Amino acid sequence: MSRVAGVLPLVAVALALAGCSGGGGGAGAAVKAKPSCPTKAWQRLANQIHAPVYCPRWMPDPLDGVIGGRWNNIRSVSPDRSYLMGFIWFERGSGELHVNLRGYPGRTSIPRCPAAVGSATIPCFADPHGHIRAKGIDATVYTVNQGADQWHVLLAWHHHGSLYALSQHVAAPLTYEGVVADLKRMLRDLVFVAPSR
Amino acid sequence: MATTRRGFLTGAAAGALGAAGIYELVDRLTSSPARTAAQGLPPEQHLLESVSVVRDEGVAVMVPPLHHQVVTAKVRATDLRRAQRDLEDALAGLDSRFEPTPAGLGVTVAWGLPYFERLVPRAWAAHAPFDRRARKPALLATRRFPSDPHSTVLEENDVAVLLRSDSLEHIADGAKALFDELHVFGVTSIRKGFAGGGFGAKQSLPKQMAMAAGVSGADLIPDTAELFLGFTSTQAANLGPGRIANLETLGYTDAAGGYFHGGTHMHLSHIFEDLEAWYLNFDFQERVATTFRPGLSVREGAQTVPQGPTEVTGVEQVERDFGRRGRIGHSSSIQPTSRLAADVVGPDGTVYAKGTAIPQRADFNTLDNPFFWRPEGVDHTPSAGVHFLVFNPTSDDFHRNRLAMDGVLPGRRLRLEPGSRAQGLNSVLHTTHRQNFLVPPRTHRAFPLAEL
Repeated sequence: MSRVAGVLPLVAVALALAGCSGGGGGAGAAVKAKPSCPTKAWQRLANQIHAPVYCPRWMPDPLDGVIGGRWNNIRSVSPDRSYLMGFIWFERGSGELHVNLRGYPGRTSIPRCPAAVGSATIPCFADPHGHIRAKGIDATVYTVNQGADQWHVLLAWHHHGSLYALSQHVAAPLTYEGVVADLKRMLRDLVFVAPSR
Repeated sequence: MATTRRGFLTGAAAGALGAAGIYELVDRLTSSPARTAAQGLPPEQHLLESVSVVRDEGVAVMVPPLHHQVVTAKVRATDLRRAQRDLEDALAGLDSRFEPTPAGLGVTVAWGLPYFERLVPRAWAAHAPFDRRARKPALLATRRFPSDPHSTVLEENDVAVLLRSDSLEHIADGAKALFDELHVFGVTSIRKGFAGGGFGAKQSLPKQMAMAAGVSGADLIPDTAELFLGFTSTQAANLGPGRIANLETLGYTDAAGGYFHGGTHMHLSHIFEDLEAWYLNFDFQERVATTFRPGLSVREGAQTVPQGPTEVTGVEQVERDFGRRGRIGHSSSIQPTSRLAADVVGPDGTVYAKGTAIPQRADFNTLDNPFFWRPEGVDHTPSAGVHFLVFNPTSDDFHRNRLAMDGVLPGRRLRLEPGSRAQGLNSVLHTTHRQNFLVPPRTHRAFPLAEL
């Protein structure tokens, strides 16, 4: 079973920065604090879907949360206004960092995904493992996730009748523990962006 | 004085035989249950007396010995008859010091095909048990199975000694007596691990050990899991009872009344378990489906799932499930070959009912990578895995069960991609080593056939 299954086809493999570490906070790698979230494009996204979005003020280095930036490999907005923003850093032999942010305006139920085996559908987020709370968000930790979140640990929460998710891939150099540490920090540093028009 | 490579390796093996390494933690994290006294030494080497039973979720679960060690070796002795006497003396010495229970020490000496063919070929030709059902020798050369990687090493050890006890000290004493004080073997590997422990505790032994070792995915193991993969496997109904796995009991071989009457077959393998792949890709229901049976409904979070004779699945059901759901379950796919298809009365009058399990599993959790010690060195980074050890009446019987895991069922073969997710459990397992052995009865445990 490949750890990048379901992800690589979507990925424009990013060039690694010279001397750049692939580790996130949990891996003990150098952490570069981002002074603020790159709000402009997130504001445009909120306006486009007519619903609030969450902008990441901190991401594991070198990811930066810039929509349209060099690490932003997935920018997807569906007709139902749900969105998926993916950020990935990948270096052969060193590892991979992959973070997804999702929103499902106007729905709170967990979406369904095709099962890996057979023709049935299964919940896209499954196996809840407790909660992480920060900044008024009560996020459920899901450890078995599908699609672009396969092999990710995912946090999902509700806000005013909408479902939001933040996930990170468990892949070298990070372990599950490291990913959870990264997710906690990202959750703490999310910036709520409401539509301005 | 100059140290030769051989001398150095011998010394290193001697040190590793008694060293506990990370397994020292087992005794700090849990304690052994009360065990009853033994009734005496059974004729079979592989039977361990006084294994206690607990009830979990209404199911009888065996509590195996806490500590396990397997030492494999090549024969160094050139005078086999003398070596036979020396080894028997050493084993008898252990018998007199320790009763054959988890509280004492269980010692099982198993011999590989290389020993029989190289060192006692004529006597072997005359006395080798024959599998009448398979029309093959009862002890076959080791093979790879469809989901094994090409890298799986098919080993050619002369001997494997299994040591089981609740006491690390007893195991160390046993290993020292057989491999350090006695100079008849050259050790090729030392494999260690643990089983049971922590039943009823807040956190089970495997979970605590994996966490302490920093194994990837350890956080994801359910708190009270008996195995790293989360389900209880030592249910009484899952393990062959009494003498069922003896060569002669089910009539599969011609061993009855012969030299190897009371013996059995042993398969030994080492398997890495990718815990992150298991817990991050398979949700609970899929883990149930793939471990037991597709479509099986159990309470969310359940770990002990009944596997009694009435829960047994037949070939047609496995085929139907595969056709409908595109996958097979580990237990259900094996059951058509691992459970009795009809009642059988053993030579001693014991009735084994239809649906009874035949294999007697003695596998144990390990953090070896892949072994605790071997002459060429090991990786000291702990890695979750299992030293899989099972007693079956013959090699062919084990092969039938293992092939069924890959969808090769009696009379038919399911279209399963080897190692694919449709095989579930197999997709997160990686077998590194395999070998088949013959376990003689206690009377012939030391260098079998050498006296003839």
